[in-house]
Amino acid sequence: MSQRRAVVTGLGAVTPVGIGAEATWDALVSGRSGIADITLFDPTPFEIHVAGEVKGFDAMAYMDAKDARRHDRNTHFAVAAAGEALRDAGLLGDDGRVSGDVNADRFGMVFGTGIGGIGIMLEGQMILAERGPRRVSPFLLPHMLPDSASGQVAIQYGLRGPNMAVVSACATGGHAIGEAMESIVRGQADIMLGAGTEAPLVPLAFAGFSQMRALGTPRDPDTGEYSAPMASRPFDATRDGFVVSEGSAVLVLEELEHALARGATPLAEVIGYGSSADAFDMAAPAERGEGNQRAMRAALLRAGIGPEAVDYINAHGTSTPLNDRFETMAIRDVFGEHADRLAVSSTKSMTGHAMGAAGAIEAFVCVKAVVTGCIPPTINYRHPDPELTLDYVPNEARAADVRVALSNSMGLGGHNSTVIVRRFES
Amino acid sequence: MPRTSPPREPGRRAVVTGLGAMTPVGNDVPTFWSNLLAGVSGVAPISLFDASDLDVRIAAEVKGFEPRDWMDFKQARRMSRFSQLAVAAARQAIDNSGLEIGDHNRHDIAVVMNTGGGGLEDVAIGEATYLAQGPQRVSPFMVPMLSPSMAACQISIQNGIGGPVITSVAACASGVQAFVEAQRLIEHGDVDVVIAGGTESAIMPISFAALANMGALSKRNDDPERASRPFDATRDGFVFGEAAGVVVVEAAEHAEARGASILAEVAGGALTADAFHISAPEPSGRGAARAMQRAIADAHLEPEQVQYVAAHGTSTPLNDATETRAIRAAFGEHAERLAVSSNKSMLGHTLGAAGAMSALAAVLAIRDGVIPPTINLDTPDPECNLDYVPNVARQARVDVAIVNGFGFGGQNAVAVFTRYD
Repeated sequence: MSQRRAVVTGLGAVTPVGIGAEATWDALVSGRSGIADITLFDPTPFEIHVAGEVKGFDAMAYMDAKDARRHDRNTHFAVAAAGEALRDAGLLGDDGRVSGDVNADRFGMVFGTGIGGIGIMLEGQMILAERGPRRVSPFLLPHMLPDSASGQVAIQYGLRGPNMAVVSACATGGHAIGEAMESIVRGQADIMLGAGTEAPLVPLAFAGFSQMRALGTPRDPDTGEYSAPMASRPFDATRDGFVVSEGSAVLVLEELEHALARGATPLAEVIGYGSSADAFDMAAPAERGEGNQRAMRAALLRAGIGPEAVDYINAHGTSTPLNDRFETMAIRDVFGEHADRLAVSSTKSMTGHAMGAAGAIEAFVCVKAVVTGCIPPTINYRHPDPELTLDYVPNEARAADVRVALSNSMGLGGHNSTVIVRRFES
Repeated sequence: MPRTSPPREPGRRAVVTGLGAMTPVGNDVPTFWSNLLAGVSGVAPISLFDASDLDVRIAAEVKGFEPRDWMDFKQARRMSRFSQLAVAAARQAIDNSGLEIGDHNRHDIAVVMNTGGGGLEDVAIGEATYLAQGPQRVSPFMVPMLSPSMAACQISIQNGIGGPVITSVAACASGVQAFVEAQRLIEHGDVDVVIAGGTESAIMPISFAALANMGALSKRNDDPERASRPFDATRDGFVFGEAAGVVVVEAAEHAEARGASILAEVAGGALTADAFHISAPEPSGRGAARAMQRAIADAHLEPEQVQYVAAHGTSTPLNDATETRAIRAAFGEHAERLAVSSNKSMLGHTLGAAGAMSALAAVLAIRDGVIPPTINLDTPDPECNLDYVPNVARQARVDVAIVNGFGFGGQNAVAVFTRYD
């Protein structure tokens, strides 16, 4: 029996730069930032007031009013992005559920999130404090647990196969796509959503990030003028932190023969997945990105390709001083001389850092890069850091023959995940 | 996920070589097991916070837990209780397995530590601080502490484990999923050892308020030890508990080469979704039955070979009747010959740790030839008509046991444990 292959047959995205896969991609290749002043809550108590919010999103366009009211924003994003991806893959029937032609028992998902329904949790906590325990919503727990998005997506679209939510902080999205790919290769399922979602823009979580002193300053480093988009400037010498953002991205992964048999178009193939732990510290990354290196090496090995086969790396590139330095070192250590021929960009320069959704959004970017032959830039890049000497695709998108793209994700606690996609070739 | 060295032959067998337990009936495996067999309830009035204004005031708490016995004091202060319990249980399991972790093997060991909610306690503490004292007083450690993946990370950090570190969440099915994932990682040669299990600690006002308002909790405040009564006709809901259970899952050849004693084999597993409702199970138990059948097939066994089902058995009216139907649907006539018991009658429902509790019970039942009872089973329910091993442990040889875990949102996970020979 030949090895089962996992191909991408559908894409969906809800991000700070656009609602929908096409809108998101257009913004990214145009270098448009989605970072702006916070509107979701009153940010006046905070020193830094910018975030990557999803703008103009109406949950009722994707779910019925009752479900929309009860669920957290992270679930709203998940349902919206999953619906788009399923439709793109030609898997939705007229009734808005997965079409009867596929076996729903063999159609599952790994839907990751860093934190789940923290907005719902805080509302509940507020009601408990102000109005007492009897006023707390009976739906609080099923709607705030980290797997409520994966549960609701399964319910709304009728997907009955293996279903789980992985959680590994900011490495979540990469783990979700990798685990979904493995489920297909191992034969546990024929179609899997590999996806991430996050909606952490609530005051308490924002306070936690602020207190970690890890947020980027929204100021033009040259003029000193206030500028929200300038807060995220990965790999730039003046970078000083990341920008919290939100969103979701969904990849429909499908076993190749299954996709071909139903006449679907494979866009790309997920060929590699690697995962590792730093075993080092709760918040800081290990020296020289040691854990990240092992994840990249494991993913290359899993893909059965050498480092020189990779054309593009969508970096974790958070815009924190340490991450960008260690990730650069890790790429140099793994890729050797080939590192100088790689295009490396951080789309977090435009989207900000969507935590558990970041890896999924960036895997989406990798798929689009191999499909379109266009590499989105690292915007806000003006001051080369003498230690950071890769080609970061500064400020302007670039046309390139991208056959293989790699996405890195790293999370608090020392999680690392790497996913590799290749242009589809039969 | 691949290992960093080239993969070995696929199809390796996964065996159990170590166990660890922090539970409402004991903070080590021998105490846990002797209390389960003796039918001791771990349910009592809530002591971790003042519950006097709540409708439900009983819980299955871990008692007398001193984090400092298990880890550095400073590190313990920067860990949520769900992580502390997991680190303690992992310490026990690793010691029990005799596994030495060092530079020679740390990248070939994985951690799969699942949970339902993560550090909810620290969300509540953070919110209280925020409201009373402002955002500048919120702990910089709050975000990493509350992250559901932090129990797995802390096990990795405390023990120097550098392989894949994974947390998956499927509400009450989480703990079972860990073993399904662990078996896959071993079978495919990704790593040699997986520290697998589940942890949960959310004994706090908001959980009790929300679960009580769902109508999910037993209201027998005056009779805590008899409150959790799975499959009994008078059951009125589950008792919320906390726990951590950890199992060292290892490639058989690796365990044999180092002379470890092998307690059981993790033979297979399956996950399915009901795709039905956010909290209620699909009434026919179809999704749950499918998970049991697939798990048994995945282990290359026939339903007739199963002797013991460590049931999800929560003590809610709906779950226990649905699970009974699902077991009948999955096993047909053989259902009459199965021993089905629910340790939640003693441990309460520990959500993300529940599957790990049942995995410990399954492994120990295989090792010792004795099946823990379902306590408080006094009044038969016509809808629950299997052999639930009522009230008294039973001597019986167990070669094949399955562990059920069903979660909010219709997530079903089943793992199969067998005698290793």
